[in-house]
Amino acid sequence: MSNKGEKILRQSRSNRFVHWGAAVSIFLLIITGLGQLPLYKRYNVTNIPGAEWLGSFFTTLDLHYIGAAGLLFVVFYHLVYHLVRKEFDIMPRKGDMKESYFIIKAMLTKGKEPDSDKYLAEQRIAYLFIGVNVLLLVFSGLIKVIKNVPDVVLPSGVVFWATQIHNLATVLLIFGLVGHFAAFLIKENRKLIPGMFTGYVDKEYVKHRHSLWYARIKEEKETSKPAKINLSHSQKVVGH
Amino acid sequence: MSENISRRTFFKRSTAAGALGVLMATGLGKTAKAQDTNSTKNIGSVIDLTKCDGCQNEPIPLCVSACETDSKSHFPEPQKPLKPYWPQKFFEDWSEKRNIKNRLTPYNWTFVDKVTVEHNGQREEISVPRRCMHCDNPTCQKLCPFSAIDKKPSGAVSIDPDVCFGGAKCRDVCPWQIPQRQAGVGLYMKLAPDLAGGGVMFKCDMCSDLLAAGKQPACQTACPKGAIKFGPKVEIKKYAYERAKEVNGYVYGDKENGGTSTFYISKVPFEKIHQAIINDKKANKDDKPGRPGMPVGVENYLDSTNGLFLSALIAPIAGAAAAGFTAYRTLKGEKKDE
Repeated sequence: MSNKGEKILRQSRSNRFVHWGAAVSIFLLIITGLGQLPLYKRYNVTNIPGAEWLGSFFTTLDLHYIGAAGLLFVVFYHLVYHLVRKEFDIMPRKGDMKESYFIIKAMLTKGKEPDSDKYLAEQRIAYLFIGVNVLLLVFSGLIKVIKNVPDVVLPSGVVFWATQIHNLATVLLIFGLVGHFAAFLIKENRKLIPGMFTGYVDKEYVKHRHSLWYARIKEEKETSKPAKINLSHSQKVVGH
Repeated sequence: MSENISRRTFFKRSTAAGALGVLMATGLGKTAKAQDTNSTKNIGSVIDLTKCDGCQNEPIPLCVSACETDSKSHFPEPQKPLKPYWPQKFFEDWSEKRNIKNRLTPYNWTFVDKVTVEHNGQREEISVPRRCMHCDNPTCQKLCPFSAIDKKPSGAVSIDPDVCFGGAKCRDVCPWQIPQRQAGVGLYMKLAPDLAGGGVMFKCDMCSDLLAAGKQPACQTACPKGAIKFGPKVEIKKYAYERAKEVNGYVYGDKENGGTSTFYISKVPFEKIHQAIINDKKANKDDKPGRPGMPVGVENYLDSTNGLFLSALIAPIAGAAAAGFTAYRTLKGEKKDE
């Protein structure tokens, strides 16, 4: 094959920064957030050497604030960046639920998948699910931060519901992340992994799995003048 | 009474004002407000150790028995048999020990501690009625992971037994470890009693039902010496300092944990009382919560989070600004985003 080894830029530096920034801060937030429940001592986690600090509510809360500052930075960066550039490739579209079903069915039966754009339908749905939960956590978390400021009194109803939403969204986010990791149990999806490290994925993979996206990139390359400004930097074909 | 604003108070208030500013911007401002500890609705109390003698001639101090009478209807009635807090081997059960009146338990929300202290060359027997201090910024209420604790307009800090899961975090973060746990009751019994939760936490609620009815808390009414007095906090605080001056003594509770609504008055320095309690506990091999010390000037952890609070508020603005800048540069073609 003539184009074997060729790569396509899938995740820009900005996207990689957002993904890993969110990953690290969410990991810290989950670990320290669970520490706000009296959980680590009860279930003997603090008996593990090196994990004693998890038993201190104050240490874990300080770290939770630091994680929150990191996540808030990343979330607002992400939202503003893509709004300014008008990039909405990952937003769910009409018919995504049905399409996801066909993709999963094809994966299981080794049949033919429907043609996909830059993101698969289930990736767009997963993004929305995780995104909505992160936003719920961010806003309920901000209310909880303000509540902790000395001499501020919020109505008990506001604090109560912010707390319940924060706790529920945490559980849902953990489910979402389990789903995110589980996606890599499927061999086909693993081709996407280098995209989040180097930014590039195999051209052959894009060609057969993301044919709609590939067609767009090709078209842009041929017209040399990109139709949409936002595509000029995020997609590029390079020789390996 | 002139009020000196310390640097810390100034910083606290500035941060509170900043937080309220954010709330205004988000539309939540209408419902939030800065705490007004000078409001006449705010109730404070004085516990005058120069007057309390621990009801020497009574089997149980009268404030303690009056508290029991008033609170009895709220006492827990656990479902038995009780189960250990898996994977731990223990559970906290006071239901068979309801007659214990010399410490805080779910069935005893106030008690009178008795210690001997040497002061000015004399040995003094001190009786110290103990209960929740009803802090201005209660660490228990702010840090409860289920928001089961409420700070009422009166200043009373009250635990909702229907929401409490009994993790006892409130006890861990309280400088005096006031709330006490009873297993076998509450929400956790309806969910997964074998795996999670521990019961319900109980403590003094400032006799909120009596206060609502325009009456005084039971301990004040029962005290034969007039050692316990509730009233508008601003007046109580003034009285406490006047009285302390009068007896050439000290006030405890005004500065502790960032301010509380309870003001102890004593002729003996509280450092000595604290040490006497700690020593007595050691001598009796008592390392359990329920008999708190009186650490002078104990700080409120929440006062230390102001810097972290500000960074959490600046982060979204910084993120948005960085994104605007980067997006602008890449759109202009000044920089490639690879």
